[in-house]
Amino acid sequence: MAGVALGNDASGARPGAFARAATRGYNPGMYKWFLAWRYLHTKLIAFFGIASVMLCVAMVLVVMSVMGGFLDTIRARSRGLHSEIVLEAGSLQGFPYYEEFARYASAQLPQVVRLTTPVVYSYGILRVPATTETKPVRVLGIRLGEYVQVNDFRKGLYYERFYPGTTHLAPQPLPVGGFDENGAGRLPPDLEAANARWRESESDREAVEEYLRNPFEKAPRPYVTPAVPGDRVFAVDVGGPHYAEPENYGVIVGCDVLFERRADGNFDRHLCRGADLALTLMPLSQAGNPTGEPPVKLPLRYADDSRSGIYEIDSLCVYVDADMLQHQLAMDAQPLVDGGFTRPRVNQLLIGLQPGVELNAARDAIDAVWLRFLGTLGETVSEADERLLGFVRVYSWEDLQRPFIAAVEKEKVLVTILFALISVVAIALVGCIFYMIVEKKTRDIGILKALGASGRGVAGLFIAYAAAVGICGALLGTALGCVFVWNINDIQDFLAALNPALRVWSPEVYTFDKIPEVVKRADAAWIASIAVLASMIGSLIPARVAARVWPVQALRYE
Amino acid sequence: MLRATGIHKTYRLDRVEVKVLRGASLAVEEAEFVVIMGASGSGKSTLLHILGALDTPDRGGVEFKGRELFGAATGNAARERYRNREVGFVFQFYHLLPELSVLENVMIPGLVTHPFWSWRRSRGRVRQDATQLLERVGLSHRIAHRPNELSGGERQRVAIARALMNRPTLLLADEPTGNLDETIGAEILKLLAELNQAGQTIVMVTHDPKVASHAHRQVRLADGVVRASETAGPRPSAPRATRRVAP
Repeated sequence: MAGVALGNDASGARPGAFARAATRGYNPGMYKWFLAWRYLHTKLIAFFGIASVMLCVAMVLVVMSVMGGFLDTIRARSRGLHSEIVLEAGSLQGFPYYEEFARYASAQLPQVVRLTTPVVYSYGILRVPATTETKPVRVLGIRLGEYVQVNDFRKGLYYERFYPGTTHLAPQPLPVGGFDENGAGRLPPDLEAANARWRESESDREAVEEYLRNPFEKAPRPYVTPAVPGDRVFAVDVGGPHYAEPENYGVIVGCDVLFERRADGNFDRHLCRGADLALTLMPLSQAGNPTGEPPVKLPLRYADDSRSGIYEIDSLCVYVDADMLQHQLAMDAQPLVDGGFTRPRVNQLLIGLQPGVELNAARDAIDAVWLRFLGTLGETVSEADERLLGFVRVYSWEDLQRPFIAAVEKEKVLVTILFALISVVAIALVGCIFYMIVEKKTRDIGILKALGASGRGVAGLFIAYAAAVGICGALLGTALGCVFVWNINDIQDFLAALNPALRVWSPEVYTFDKIPEVVKRADAAWIASIAVLASMIGSLIPARVAARVWPVQALRYE
Repeated sequence: MLRATGIHKTYRLDRVEVKVLRGASLAVEEAEFVVIMGASGSGKSTLLHILGALDTPDRGGVEFKGRELFGAATGNAARERYRNREVGFVFQFYHLLPELSVLENVMIPGLVTHPFWSWRRSRGRVRQDATQLLERVGLSHRIAHRPNELSGGERQRVAIARALMNRPTLLLADEPTGNLDETIGAEILKLLAELNQAGQTIVMVTHDPKVASHAHRQVRLADGVVRASETAGPRPSAPRATRRVAP
């Protein structure tokens, strides 16, 4: 019979098409799409399928976005924390010959090394004399001008943003605001000028507009009358603006060390700029023992606060002048009893790279140069210095953060797999729903077959129906997931307002002060695609059952 | 036009084999109105299903215009096309799709025929044909209604319109009045008779002699074979060209 027409064609199809159908398969069928669409919006059960796909897509998208955003933020902020390459002492005593090495590396690798800057660090106790509040802190001694050139530290400085060029760590007096002859609040001229420069700059228009809308926001406590000029906290008295003595070294404080964060993400800065702070330090000898001297107590001025966005850093670190700290920790050149001096020491040497230099290659090159440098020192190195130099390692920023980043990466994969497994339930659910539909629609399948629909066509109908369910669920789920992620912090704030125990994202635990709220298009696209595919897979068995329905059986009874 | 020869069909009900057809033979000429009669369970519906390629015989063959429907070389695709283009079915229980309107139900055979990619081109014609068929069966005012909003007689008229959608050569009706009262059933039979007068070949199954009287030839099925064939009325003299009933 193959190749032979069984009858006339009355509906306009080409003669012989029937004959070809006998061998090739006859399955054109607009009815598949028509009925799939009709079932989609007339059958209540389809909405359960759509809802299950939607919830799974939204769930996986939220998890992927939050974890992915978490990881991306860690990467971005880790990169901005130190510098590309760090020579790390590995101990609180630090390591000597850092200046010599900085010169040596710059000379040996001029195409790699852009800038070097030393960092001294130790631990201490920060005290606020006005309130007698004390905090344990990690004290970093930095050369601010160089430090901001090797990392993103400047971006997180609060006053530096509004009064550019005024934050420094050198000895400084207390800036006091006052009133001009017209009774308007005024800051000392250099701060007014800096603020004017910022207001006129084009780079921060939104913040300037916000500042101009609300210039009188704060009413801080110490030193300050209730009428405060400007929305930044400065000391004010009844006279004209001036600087009050004594001059103390400046300190930049991590924003979470002293200040409470409000629900809107800003901080309650209850200290005015220039407020007195005190830092107590415990110097160590070259051998790592306390020097025997009484602890050092330094009077400092609150010059600014910094926000890296990583809670462990912002709640612990304070920054002072490197040379001053080095001196106070007795890490500068100290006289020896037999004459001569010890070598000054630092704990880190940060190295900024030339643009376009590959990170790992640069690290390896600098590591090799470090070893060569040690070779050049020869017999001149004391035994104690040699021991300290032996601890020094060269790291890239990725090396320093790798354990943390790798852990988060694994966490992301694990959580995604877990939620994807949960999503398999959606496939099973779609399968069950479609099986129920096929059971219920057996008679309709018989009718369609009696009207000429093929088994493959009927199977195609159910797969098209599942695809439609999957597409609707995926689109709605993507929309739901996006809206949820974009508003995730507001949702959390709302829940926390109802009951503080519902605050699931604690900055103490999760490092960042905000839940990442970015959805990547690629993530959304492939999650939605997989959801559609999964729905279609879920419908395969029911579709096969439908294809095998024997029309005579299906049509026998009403 | 249609010739069934020595049809055998056995069903298995649990462990019992029921021989429904034991060599039934039947020939139907163009423009004939043939009624298959028989007692309940005599195999008349089974024979009709085999004639319409809804079921397959265990033995024997069916030729449509000289070509075997169940030959080794005839695939499912050919039988599907036969059901879609050459045959229109009318069932006792109407078998309309409940989610679709009356018009859409009538259009369904056209939707099976036309592929997705040419639907935009053919949609207007299919819709027009379906509307004309509904006018012809007196349901033009009901095209937007759902089947559950219609009476039994109206549903059966929709089913007849659907069966005629692709202008089939052969209309197969399985107890089309079995579920209707006498008055409505008579209307349906009148409609079928009019279609036959217009040249439509009809094979109808019934167990009701009054219904059978509308046909011009009756065959009686007993013990799985055709026992008798008698002419009840004159064959219509419609020309071949009007063999297919146009909407």
